[in-house]
Amino acid sequence: MIDGSIFWWYVTTACLVWFSTVTIYVAIRGGLDIKHMLRRLKALEHQNRDK
Amino acid sequence: MSNFTWIDVSIIAIYFALAMFAGLSVRKYIGKVEDFLVAGREMDVYLGVASLAATEFGIVTCMSSAELGYKYGFAGAVAGVCGFLAMLFIGLTGFCVRPLRESGVMTIPELFEKRFGSKIRWWSGVVIVLGGLLNMGVFLRTGGEFLVIVCDIDKQYLEITMTVMLVAVGIYTVVGGMLSVLVTDYLQFLVMSVGMLLVSVLTLVNIPWETLASTVAANYGTGGFNPFVNPNIGWTYIIFQMLVNAAAMLTWQTTIARLLSAKDAKTGQKVYTRTSFFFVCQFVIPGLWGIAALTTLGPGVEPASHAMPTFLAQTAWPLGVTGLLVAAMLAADMSTDSSYMLTWGSVIYNDLMAPFRKTKWSEKRGLAWNRMIIALIGLFLLVYGLWYPLQQEIWTYLTVTGTIYLASMSTLLVAACYWPRANSWGAAGAITLGALIPFAYLVFEAIPATREAALSIGAERAGIAAFVGAGLAMVLGSYLKPGPNVRISS
Repeated sequence: MIDGSIFWWYVTTACLVWFSTVTIYVAIRGGLDIKHMLRRLKALEHQNRDK
Repeated sequence: MSNFTWIDVSIIAIYFALAMFAGLSVRKYIGKVEDFLVAGREMDVYLGVASLAATEFGIVTCMSSAELGYKYGFAGAVAGVCGFLAMLFIGLTGFCVRPLRESGVMTIPELFEKRFGSKIRWWSGVVIVLGGLLNMGVFLRTGGEFLVIVCDIDKQYLEITMTVMLVAVGIYTVVGGMLSVLVTDYLQFLVMSVGMLLVSVLTLVNIPWETLASTVAANYGTGGFNPFVNPNIGWTYIIFQMLVNAAAMLTWQTTIARLLSAKDAKTGQKVYTRTSFFFVCQFVIPGLWGIAALTTLGPGVEPASHAMPTFLAQTAWPLGVTGLLVAAMLAADMSTDSSYMLTWGSVIYNDLMAPFRKTKWSEKRGLAWNRMIIALIGLFLLVYGLWYPLQQEIWTYLTVTGTIYLASMSTLLVAACYWPRANSWGAAGAITLGALIPFAYLVFEAIPATREAALSIGAERAGIAAFVGAGLAMVLGSYLKPGPNVRISS
């Protein structure tokens, strides 16, 4: 391998691995975050209406 | 594009319909200005990661990173490494962002009012809006150019493509504010990630790593791998990138909007830490596509920013990949445009219009104004995008216009958080010098008579001078007028 390209090979591989992992993780946990966020906003709206 | 089939069109149509549905379906949760601007401060870590990554990566970022890869090889990705280090440091330490989030403000100028008074808040707002709007002014044209090249649409339809994209984004941003932005960002992050990963893997399958590396070595030598010895990069460029990236992580309105929408300071810091490596990815992955363009098309494509989309258009991808790629790039662009329109609109409403809201406005009136401001920003984008011809590298333009406010606002933020001696004179001096230097550079570069002189100074030196000038002005101004020792309270 050409000198200097080894470093960038590792960086590129790290990017592809990190990006794939985070995409799967965020797909699951981010969806749950949205669900909880909307539930909390709805509860707050009800509280404000009751006041 | 010759291999653009009905499957590709269907993928794009499905994505578009899903994004619009997601964006519009949350409008019922918007009851207050706070819901509209910071999603009721209910954002959690992973939604924050998706939203921050999707916002900071648009077609303009993709094209600028690919342009750097095409022109400088792997060394062009050094700006991403600077961004990663800056965000990781801030996320781990909470430097400035912790007191900022704990202060409970909706925008940075609102925080400055607590330390430097209402006039500084207003002028900060002016500088933020000026720098931010100039910066995002090129987004639409760049995005339109990418789509026109990749989809092989006739150039006469560039303006129509730009308008359709903007109207679609404008509709859900105006209706649902930050809540729509967060929900669509989530969807857009997923589509964008899948598209980018698939195209990158297929690129590496089509063009072996050894071929890419030897192309870089043949065109740029060691400088294609090592930014410190690259004649077009070097230390000045890297120092400027470190300053710009650190300042952007601290004060860039779209980045800060995620921190301010987070449930608490700790959540905001986690979002920063966990998103930090994405800044390496957003330069390395499109940079790889730029190097692939250099390998297949050779050097000399003008403008260099068109090399990557031309490469993507000329490659024979498997069925459906082009559709996924275009959907991914549309996702990247829509998330960026929506967030930028909303956050800069929030500064106009929250800070520039603050003196006109002597009495408290009703939530309904506040929401109506916010929506109107976003629509006007959309109109500005369309007009500016149509007539402004980009004269330099996309990344250089983005960093120089960003510096108009990054230099002064980062100085003010650090001083507001950690220097009790800082006062309004220092803040005024920092705003003036920090904005004047990069703005003058842009003007001199645009005038034919002074263009050569401006280029001989260089964007990086002008940018560094803005940061140094803002810092010195803050110190000198603050010592000239001793101010009260005020600390930020929650």
